[in-house]
This record gives sequence, C-alpha cells and structure tokens, in this order.
Amino acid sequence: MERKKFLSQSLTALGVAFVAPITKACSKTDVIGDTDETGSGSCTTTPSETEGPFPTKSPSSLVQPDITGDRTGVPLSVKIYITNRNNSCAALANAIVDIWHCDAAGNYSEYGGSGMQSTNYTSVHWLRGRQTTDSNGLVTFTSIFPGWYSGRAPHIHVHVYNSSGRSLLVTQIAFPTDICNTVYTTASPYKSRGTQDTQNSRDNVFADSLDFEMSAVTGSVSAGYTLTHTINVSA
Amino acid sequence: MKQIQLAYRKIIGAQSTSIWEQYVFEDSYKEFLMQFQLYNTENKYHTFSRLSAAIPAAEKLHFLVSAAVTGYIAQLQNKIPDIQNTLGKTFLPFHLYRFEIIDSSIRDKKDHRIAIIFYSEPLLWLDTIGEHLLISLNTESNTDKDMAQTELVKLQPFMSIYSLQKTNHATAIPGQDILS
Repeated sequence: MERKKFLSQSLTALGVAFVAPITKACSKTDVIGDTDETGSGSCTTTPSETEGPFPTKSPSSLVQPDITGDRTGVPLSVKIYITNRNNSCAALANAIVDIWHCDAAGNYSEYGGSGMQSTNYTSVHWLRGRQTTDSNGLVTFTSIFPGWYSGRAPHIHVHVYNSSGRSLLVTQIAFPTDICNTVYTTASPYKSRGTQDTQNSRDNVFADSLDFEMSAVTGSVSAGYTLTHTINVSA
Repeated sequence: MKQIQLAYRKIIGAQSTSIWEQYVFEDSYKEFLMQFQLYNTENKYHTFSRLSAAIPAAEKLHFLVSAAVTGYIAQLQNKIPDIQNTLGKTFLPFHLYRFEIIDSSIRDKKDHRIAIIFYSEPLLWLDTIGEHLLISLNTESNTDKDMAQTELVKLQPFMSIYSLQKTNHATAIPGQDILS
C-alpha cells in the first residue's frame, strides 16, 4: 500500500515535470509562428494560401506625362529643353527632369494632417511629375496653370538629374506677368483669389536672375497655354 | 457594439525576403537617393535622420519617396498584407496607408529601412475571444435574426487598434411603438 502510494505520488511528480516542458515547447512554437507571420523572423513559413496577386516591377508614380491628377484649372503644356553647358549647349538626352508646382488655390500635394493617403495614386502626387529627355533634350508635361501663394511669384520647380539620378540642377521657372494677370482675373477657379501678391521683380528667387528663369508662354484661357523654357546644366 | 480601424505597420529592410518587399525596398531606396539631394545641397549629411534633424523641411522626404511605392501598394488590391484570419487568409480591406522612412543612408543601402502603415476599413468589433478579436467586415447593422459573417484575427506584434467609434445600434427604442 505504502509502495503503491509512493509510486503514484512519484508519477504525479514526474508527470508534472514531464508536462511542463511540453507546455513550454508548445508556447514557444506559437511564438515562432507569430513572429514569422509578421515577416520579421529569420525563416519564412510556407504560405497557407495561394500566392498572389503576383508583384510586378512598377515605375514611380511620378513618371507620367499628365500630372494633373484630380486638380482643375486652365490646361498648361510644359515643354522644357535641357542643354549641356559642358558640350557647347547641345541638347542633353536621357536627363531625368522632375517638376512640381502648386494648384490653382496655391497648395502643393503632400501629406495631410492625418498623415494618411488614399491608394488612388493618380491623385496622391498631383502636379508632380518626372520625364526623361529625348534626343532633342525635350520633356513635355500636361498640367494646369499654377496658382500662387502669398510671398512668392507664380513658379514651377524643376530638378534635373543625369541618367543615373545624380543631381545636376535645382531651379525654378517664372511666368510672364501679363498672362498671369489674365488667368488670375478671368479664369475659374483662379479668379476668386485675384492677382498674385508678389511680382517677379520683388520675388526673392527671381529678382536677381529673372532673365534666365522667365519662360515663354503662349495660348489663351479657352484653348489652354503652352510654356516653353530651356535650362542649361553642366553634365 | 463598436466600430474600429486596425492599423498594421509593415517594416521593410535589406533582410526582407518576398519579391514584393524587395521591389519596395529597391525602388524606395533609388527614389531616396534622388530626392535626398534636394535637401542635402551642401553634401553635409549622409543619413536621413541627420539630414531631417538639421533641415526640418527634409521631413517631406517621407511623402516624396512614397511616390516610388504607390504602384506596389496598388498591387495589393486593397488587402492588408501579412495579417491573416485564423483560417490562414489575408482578409483585411484597406484604402489608407502611410509610408515612412525609418532611416536610410546614401552610403550604405543596408541601412535603408522603411515602414508602411496600413489602416483597415472600419470593422465591427463584436467580441474578444482570448487573444483574438471577433470582427465583422460588414459594419451595416444586422437585425438579430441575420447571421453576421465574422472573422477571427489574433492580436499580434505591429498590429494595433487605430481608431474606435461607439455605434448607436439600430435597435427599437422601447416604448416608441406605443407613442406612435
């Protein structure tokens, strides 16, 4: 009797001792599984569902000729020629050109207050674009006539890179005042804000270099405008 | 009954293995190298953290670099990656996300680490069972007679409840029938 009781107590004790590591082993397995699911583990678990949708290489959403997105305004075709100062100002092919400008109300696309963005990528990076120059050194964007914001004359920002993405020049393009006055006083939605508060001659970017940064703009409010400008870089 | 939005923060770095993660890693790094030059005009900095500490405007790089990955986000077809229900399937719909550069270096690609936070569509939080949330994707109120389709999802690292709204459930107000 006593021997039986002793054995039973021993087994219970052993049993507990055996069970404990098994329980521990199970929970450890769970933890490993969880870690893998978040993708931060050192090994990858076999997917439990059919793989897909299959990823494909996708260019930056900046790479598009029409950068209008969901903005409205007077159509503007932007033609920028890039020439190389180190090659007798000949056309520079395969240069990467980024442009960005504000909308009719004077706002840039950027993260909003909540910090979230919609996955409708055509409207996320509106009025920002990237093109590569052709054999004539030309890039063309379809956009809208920019508005203005307080303290600056109307402008388009330009960043020129060589074909491998090395920065060559960051600059801005100015607009003829007479055309700005026409757009800002007669066209919707610009006319609700009226004319710009800063003239090119008083602008802290353009004042000392306007001759190099002034664009040629042709067209009309009804037909849209075409901006042409040449930028010299050292490539 | 409460409506919630779940948030999942997916971190991608040099160690990430899936093809989608590698595309996001490579293209966001390439874009980072290009856009970094806009703010590093005097070539004084080589990491994002140092540059943004010195030049606050460089915080805009989060947004600017995100342009490189929006095409990949679209390929997810509005389903949050990695987070599976207890049946082992991804199921959480999203249409909002935020791209962040955790840190990066123009000298060493291995130091490039980014995060994408996915915010789920509003969900109905029905119950909590152990470590699992019982939720329904259908936030329209069901009558008591309807069987509501539900999902069980485990609370896990890098997943959080981002927002909560107590809903006024469309149940009959006692006594209203008598008054009308």
